[in-house]
Amino acid sequence: MRPILLQGHTRSLTQIKYNREGDLLFSVSKDQVVNVWYSHNGERLGTYNGHVGAIWTVDVNSTSTLLLTGSADNTAKLWEVQTGKCLHTWEFKTAVKRVAFSEDDAMALAVTEQRMGYPGTIVILSIKNDLEAEQSDEPINIVYPKGSKAMAAEWGYLNKYIITGHEDGSVAQYDWKAGDQIKSVKAHNAEITDLQMSEDRTYFITASKDKSAQIFESNTLNHLKKYMTDAPLNSAAITPIQDFVILGGGQDAMQVTTTTMRQGKFECRFYHKILEDVEVGRVKGHFGPINTIAVHPDGKSFSSGGEDGYVRVHHFDEDYFKFKYPELH
Amino acid sequence: MSADIVAPKPSWADEVGEEFDPLPLETFTDENGIKTVVEYKTNDDGKKVKVTRKIKKTLITERVNKAVAERKKWTKFGEERGKKVGPDLSTTSIGEQIFLKLSSNFKNAETTDDNIVNKGKLKKILCRICKGDHFTTKCPYKDTLQPLDELNTTVPDASKDSAPAAEPAQPDTTSGKYIPPSLRAGNKGTGSDSFKERKDDATIRVTNLSEDTTEGDIHDLFRRFGSISRVYLARDRETNVCKGFAFVSFQIRDDASRALQAINGYGYDNLILRVEWAKSSS
Repeated sequence: MRPILLQGHTRSLTQIKYNREGDLLFSVSKDQVVNVWYSHNGERLGTYNGHVGAIWTVDVNSTSTLLLTGSADNTAKLWEVQTGKCLHTWEFKTAVKRVAFSEDDAMALAVTEQRMGYPGTIVILSIKNDLEAEQSDEPINIVYPKGSKAMAAEWGYLNKYIITGHEDGSVAQYDWKAGDQIKSVKAHNAEITDLQMSEDRTYFITASKDKSAQIFESNTLNHLKKYMTDAPLNSAAITPIQDFVILGGGQDAMQVTTTTMRQGKFECRFYHKILEDVEVGRVKGHFGPINTIAVHPDGKSFSSGGEDGYVRVHHFDEDYFKFKYPELH
Repeated sequence: MSADIVAPKPSWADEVGEEFDPLPLETFTDENGIKTVVEYKTNDDGKKVKVTRKIKKTLITERVNKAVAERKKWTKFGEERGKKVGPDLSTTSIGEQIFLKLSSNFKNAETTDDNIVNKGKLKKILCRICKGDHFTTKCPYKDTLQPLDELNTTVPDASKDSAPAAEPAQPDTTSGKYIPPSLRAGNKGTGSDSFKERKDDATIRVTNLSEDTTEGDIHDLFRRFGSISRVYLARDRETNVCKGFAFVSFQIRDDASRALQAINGYGYDNLILRVEWAKSSS
């Protein structure tokens, strides 16, 4: 396959995300720009300009009308996807590290950084899915995570709870209405860098700096699978069609200049989702650590964003779909 | 979406030619929708040739989600405002071909791949036992000779730490990669200086070499012991074949001493090498 290289950013990528149909790909980076691309040919549709700090996170609602971004300029911004117009800005005390729309699009969560004496919080925002409507500044609730700060968060299915990944490697479930922690498990030995839900949100995958990725059941936080690699991980994604997980990471950015590309382990690794420690393939290409991975909802392509400022869109070849694990068939 | 193949436009030269000699153009379409165009024209040699072109038009219909189709019509905005439809080369490019080989024993496949790649950097596959261009397992001497690497480690040497550490750091001068002057073999100052400063006390003489030995072979053989500052291979003036002996100068005498111990009596190209200290010519 020949990947499509998207050169819309001048600094390292922080998150990329497909919309529900997968025709649009949103990318955010530390260079303060949000880009949107057509995923099939890599054409840039537009940019969303307005943030004045590194952008950490992006999410799009299910109808692809509203886009939410969180930035180090202590704001979260809501954009009109089609025109790039900023519809609303929420101000916080600290940087916004993660945003996510709820399943019904009526709410969004924003994880704020713990810094300058302010505690890390998870703010539940109310979202009106109407481009003309005035958005409310008043959050529905603010959850104060216990223990170490939250690094990543996602909604559980039917918005029953919020699942968070923490700096100390633990995974927790929060009741967002009451603001209480329901459950917590110590999953990893180092900070959790990414948390992505399966399609039906019944399980999720976490990536951690402890060089492993794990799958947990959403409802019970039961540990299901563990994938061990030899490099710190920054992102993990689950693929439809084939039972794989894609893990991306690599050595820390600060050490990259002192090592060769091969030693840096800047590859997207494919592991068999069921068989855990079976690595089935790798995709090379980035010159630096991979910061974020997203899989097209139809499972026919995936994209990775790296510290090198590139997004690489890979459309799988025919033989990817023909691959069958011999012992399972 | 339609992908139609259009017949190439005839060049102006052909048109000019046809003015003088208008030849008939036959066009017919068969039941499968394949259009056949037959034309006659005169080629450069003045001969009349028949050109038959078959054109098939296929309409490929792709079904997409209504919302997706709608979004494809969106006008560009932000920094892309006013730009024309289609990927812009300044932001979108196609990377080089990469292969995602899926396999159930990927790890094993990858390591053997790496070995081949690494050996490829040395321009050929090297046998660890006899330095021939075949795999170690296929070496004809594998039962009789010890691998060279093991030989190296069995040599009792005082500077144990320097030898294995120097091995990976030793840049491969044959790979064609750029190597900064400070890392090149013979890195003491500039080239001419090092030539003058060449110490004969770190030079060894290798004899009983076979006729087809080259400087590269000598480099390959002695590289592992330390950085080599010079290799001189005596060649016959007329036939340019090896005369059977060579001088190898190392940077450090200890390296030379270890090389001497390891390679003296070592089987190479069916011959037993003899290594001794080079005697000064004066």
